[in-house]
Amino acid sequence: MKRRIRYSRREGKLTLGGKLSFVLVFLLCLLILIPMVFTFLYSFFPKTEIEAYLKSRGNYDSSQWMDILYSPAQFSLRQYYKILIEEPTYLQLFCNSAMYTGAILLGQALIIPLTSYCLSRFTFWGRDAIFFLILILMILPFQVTMAPSVTVLRWLGIMDTVWAVILPMCFSPFYIFLLRQFMAGIPNELLEAGMVDGVGPIRGFLHVILPVCRPILGAAMALSFADSWNMVEQPLVYLANKQSLQPLSVMFNQISTERADVAFAGAALYILPALFVYFFFQEDIVAGIQLSELK
Amino acid sequence: MFHRKKIVYVLLLPGMIGILAFYIVPFIGGIYYSLMDGTFENNFVGLENYQRVANNKMFQLGLKNTWELSLWSAPAIWLLAFILSAMLKSLKNHSVMFRNVLLLPYLMPSSAMLLIWLIMFDYGGVINRLAVQLGFERVLWLEEDALRVPIVLLYIWKNLGFSVVLFSSALTAIHPSLYEYASLEGAGWWTQAFRITLPQIRPTAFLVFVLAWVNAFKIFKEVYFIGGAYPTEAVYTLQHYMNNKFAKLEYQDVTTAAYMFAVGVMVLFALMYASKAVRAPAEN
Repeated sequence: MKRRIRYSRREGKLTLGGKLSFVLVFLLCLLILIPMVFTFLYSFFPKTEIEAYLKSRGNYDSSQWMDILYSPAQFSLRQYYKILIEEPTYLQLFCNSAMYTGAILLGQALIIPLTSYCLSRFTFWGRDAIFFLILILMILPFQVTMAPSVTVLRWLGIMDTVWAVILPMCFSPFYIFLLRQFMAGIPNELLEAGMVDGVGPIRGFLHVILPVCRPILGAAMALSFADSWNMVEQPLVYLANKQSLQPLSVMFNQISTERADVAFAGAALYILPALFVYFFFQEDIVAGIQLSELK
Repeated sequence: MFHRKKIVYVLLLPGMIGILAFYIVPFIGGIYYSLMDGTFENNFVGLENYQRVANNKMFQLGLKNTWELSLWSAPAIWLLAFILSAMLKSLKNHSVMFRNVLLLPYLMPSSAMLLIWLIMFDYGGVINRLAVQLGFERVLWLEEDALRVPIVLLYIWKNLGFSVVLFSSALTAIHPSLYEYASLEGAGWWTQAFRITLPQIRPTAFLVFVLAWVNAFKIFKEVYFIGGAYPTEAVYTLQHYMNNKFAKLEYQDVTTAAYMFAVGVMVLFALMYASKAVRAPAEN
């Protein structure tokens, strides 16, 4: 017992500073959660109440304040019914977003692990040059390759179609980098043991490397989901002439200014899939970010 | 590790075709664009485009704003992430939950969060209430120069967790005996943070800083959502300039501006790459 008190630092008991940090970090976390909590809360407000509330914005009269609403006068699910069933615009955009995200994730699943495998477990001429290029492409802002990309997409005949958004994202350099980092760290003995048993490069990929990569695949998937679910620049440029194909991320703003009553319900629904992904993959995401360090 | 296996070229093919078509060809094509005049004859004009773009008022404005916005947000994220991860470390096994909460905004779509942001920063909103309670004047957060504050805060809110995770993993790698020895010698929290923690994680600290900075250059979504394609002057970023030039089909100007910007980013990247040299001895 005495030992335990003496080594409290190691056994999970907090020091005074630790307790202070606990309180501070706890408060900060509450602060960070506030925007999300209130988005969900306001999504249950009935139409009249939330419209009046949003109208009270932009009042420059210094004697007046906006109220802070904590609970609806009447709990309402009407606005959810509206956007999900009565008026299909929102749902259409939501489905567009889901379609893009699904297609991008699928494409990435086919391309990226294989490419990373080649870049990490093989030696061949030009490998390091390719990797270096991928690193550079990874950090450049989207706009750098935007205009010439359009020429390429036109030439391929996929400009203003869904493929213009999906295909380039399937080869996203960041995820090639991320998976390559993880695969390069897998001990060589694992593959060598396989090679002794006569495993070739392809079976080595499917039966040795891929199973070991499970955590990083989860991480890449979750991070890529966040990217695609939130993408703005690509559809804005590649689908400039196709309003009907735009995802929710681009159009949501317009909806929420035009239709104040469903804005919060829409926002809450929009956040929900991201929340699910977060809860299922949070540990993987952490592991993934840790790997995005250059080593 | 496979050596001299021809099959690697087959396996690499699909990935390379895509990267070539969608990234490398546009990247190189951009250089071509930026050196041509874009008329029907498409003459070679050398660096004329660069000269014109560099002298453009909107380009200068965008460059200045992008620079200043990143100057606000990158150091803020770096410092906050460092302090927070140091605090998280002292929480031991409670830290995981908090760290994950800090990471949550990273997955949230910015456009969905915007609405609540606009309410909070309204002239009669909760932020101004707080300001008045603390004895300050009310501020028109959503107009002119002050608009930078909500934008930078939204950006920090969203990206802080990423840096915290990077810092935290570096911090947990520090051997605990170092701290035990320091506290036996009577070193306080502050001394420990700056004499042990910071030197130990210097390579990571540098990387987080550069990453935060490079990413802060990409602030656009947040501004686009609040201000649209033509926001108030104080938040008109380089990306706005490029997108608007693009909409006007002035591809030469877009790519020229992009390349000038890219050079800046690459200088930072070179620093980051060089930091591997800083890193190597610490690892061995």
